[in-house]
Amino acid sequence: MIHSATHHPGFLSPTGVEITFLLVGLATLGAAVVTVTTRQLVHAALWLVVALGGIAVEYLLLTAEFIAWVQVLIYVGSVVVLLLFGLMLTKAPIGHSPDADSENRWVALAVALAAAGTLVWVVADAFRSTWIDVHHGTGQSATKVTGSSLFRFWVLPFEALSVLLLAALVGAIVLSRRRADVLPPAPDGSTAPHGKDR
Amino acid sequence: MNDTLHVVLRLVAVLVAFLVLPLLVGQTEHKVMAHMQGRLGPMYAGGFHGWAQLVADGVKFAQKEDVVPADADRRIFQLAPAVALLPYLLVLIVIPVGPHGFVGEAVDAGLFFVLAVMGVGVLGSLMAGWASANKFSLLGGLRTAAQLMAYELPMLLAAASVAMAAGTLSLPGIVESYHWWWTLWQLMGGLVFFTAGLAELQRPPFDMPVADSEIIFGAYTEYTGLRFALFLLAEYAGIVVLCGLTTVLFLGGWHGPWAGSVGWLWTLLKTAVLAFIVIWLRVSYPRLREDQLMKFAWTVLIPISLVQIALTGVVKVVTS
Amino acid sequence: MPLPGSGLAKGLAVTLRTMTRKSVTARYPDTQPELPPRSRGVIALFEENCTVCMLCARECPDWCIYIDSHKETSPPAAPGGRERSRNVLDRFAIDFALCMYCGICIEVCPFDALFWSPEFEYAETDILDLTHERDKLRDWMWTVPAPPPLDPAAEEPKEIAAARKAAEKQAAQAQAQAEAEKQARPGDAEGGTGEGEA
Ligand code: SF4
Ligand code: SF4
Repeated sequence: MIHSATHHPGFLSPTGVEITFLLVGLATLGAAVVTVTTRQLVHAALWLVVALGGIAVEYLLLTAEFIAWVQVLIYVGSVVVLLLFGLMLTKAPIGHSPDADSENRWVALAVALAAAGTLVWVVADAFRSTWIDVHHGTGQSATKVTGSSLFRFWVLPFEALSVLLLAALVGAIVLSRRRADVLPPAPDGSTAPHGKDR
Repeated sequence: MNDTLHVVLRLVAVLVAFLVLPLLVGQTEHKVMAHMQGRLGPMYAGGFHGWAQLVADGVKFAQKEDVVPADADRRIFQLAPAVALLPYLLVLIVIPVGPHGFVGEAVDAGLFFVLAVMGVGVLGSLMAGWASANKFSLLGGLRTAAQLMAYELPMLLAAASVAMAAGTLSLPGIVESYHWWWTLWQLMGGLVFFTAGLAELQRPPFDMPVADSEIIFGAYTEYTGLRFALFLLAEYAGIVVLCGLTTVLFLGGWHGPWAGSVGWLWTLLKTAVLAFIVIWLRVSYPRLREDQLMKFAWTVLIPISLVQIALTGVVKVVTS
Repeated sequence: MPLPGSGLAKGLAVTLRTMTRKSVTARYPDTQPELPPRSRGVIALFEENCTVCMLCARECPDWCIYIDSHKETSPPAAPGGRERSRNVLDRFAIDFALCMYCGICIEVCPFDALFWSPEFEYAETDILDLTHERDKLRDWMWTVPAPPPLDPAAEEPKEIAAARKAAEKQAAQAQAQAEAEKQARPGDAEGGTGEGEA
């Protein structure tokens, strides 16, 4: 898949895939900007779907099929559903949410720009000389390549991540349990409701 | 040129299947459900045993006024049915029907494609539930989301078990490496997959999100006319897709006597039997309560699917 | 203890068995239903019996019986007597849009002028047409079936019992008279039998 640069195609020779890539990228960026600027909470979540979907399409264009579908499955299928669930639970209104603005937009912009700059710089620096041949990628290998590189070269970060997630899971359970301890179910109304005896 | 024509032809075939098969399932449901309840079901539309009932229904839906509630979020309200329906069309494209590339379009990571895209379909219900500006719709949307989150996991695990067994993520690849004893080996996974799929489609007995006695019709309460019909079509397309997927993953797809020539018939037959079971379950069982639903997913289905994965792994290591 | 899940299987078996049986749907417009005797379809008026006593109209809980009448006098039977007056029916109508088919009017009519008819196919597209006037109500009379036979062990209807008692009394009287006559003229009777023997 990833050839080292034996022959460089011209950096600015636009092929169909490259143009599509750029256009989809622009659309994704637009969707992302709308996500953070819209005043309607649920619309923000839905624009996030568009942005995440756009990224999935970018993965597809880079022949990383497996990653693309996982992106859709995890982010669109689960994370956004979770987000929407939370929004519905908090009764997100239809129309503008007056308190949806944390008044930090300049700080946020600075952080976003810094993060984007760092990422672009790191990625460009790391993959400067590799070239993905999008025309000869056979699908079968994509999943295999991903799997083997994940479990051969990146096993440690992978495991560390899973431990992190496990810790988060346990933490969530502990937190929700503790709440049940602090607020015992009201004993038929005779004792003080605030648990002074604890 | 010939290639393009080929692709277009395949896509048209898939589209036709997408429009016809759900109607077939719907009509079967009308009739089977009726007879299971000692009734006859539709008898007039089209003449012979009411075969054209769903066509008549479609005409009726098309004539109805398309109402958008005044307080609703118009755009999202109108977009929701499409979001609910289109994913199933996409999924249908990659389901292999017969050997030798008898498939709309073979996708390499087909299994993940299918699961990912099916997950998107539920967004339609959520959008509908939120955008209707109706408390019943909102409750329906909430229940849909909760149910989806609970049942997505066992479904994924069960599907992953098959992928492990076959050593590939491509759907035709999985069917090709199928042996008859797989059905026994993956039995638990198959049951979990089918059940979780039913729950994702909100079919009875897992139809809490559209429980008519409590919240009218859940997220679809405010819909009328064609948009409502699209939601219904999505449900039946979902049945076709779920049964087709279960066939492909767990029942060996086109495998059977004379698979070379009539393999596609086997796939369709197995799918039809599964669809019948879906209807049968609907008629036989009462609706699960919300807490029972959640408990069932987290304490029954997920453990079973984890056991199935362990079993698959052990057998795989032992036999290879 | 039953096997866990056997209840689930039983449920499936029940529905499957029902599916293989003949369904009980009545295919109404194609085949007429077999109505039980005393079906409450429509109310028929036997006009000739009606004395315009207005009991039915007054007892009807819905006030859906409309009766108009006028008084007619006829000359006295004997000269110098009082004039005879009688009520003549002008209008008798039942509004079946209001009627709840309670049957009170039929029960209450002291002159057997109202009857249940099993006819039920009189739907209209205009609700006003559901008010059946006198002629129509009279026409329904032709559809009233003969009263169903009594159950085998049923008590004898009052009027029949009364008639039978009267008839028996008469017969007894006649016999008693005959007996008395026989005793008064025994020769006649013996001669009669003797002739018969000869
Ligand atoms: S059946 Fe009852 S409601 Fe109807 S006209 Fe007679 S008394 Fe009135
Ligand atoms: S109760 Fe009978 S007799 Fe009297 S007015 Fe009504 S129908 Fe006529």
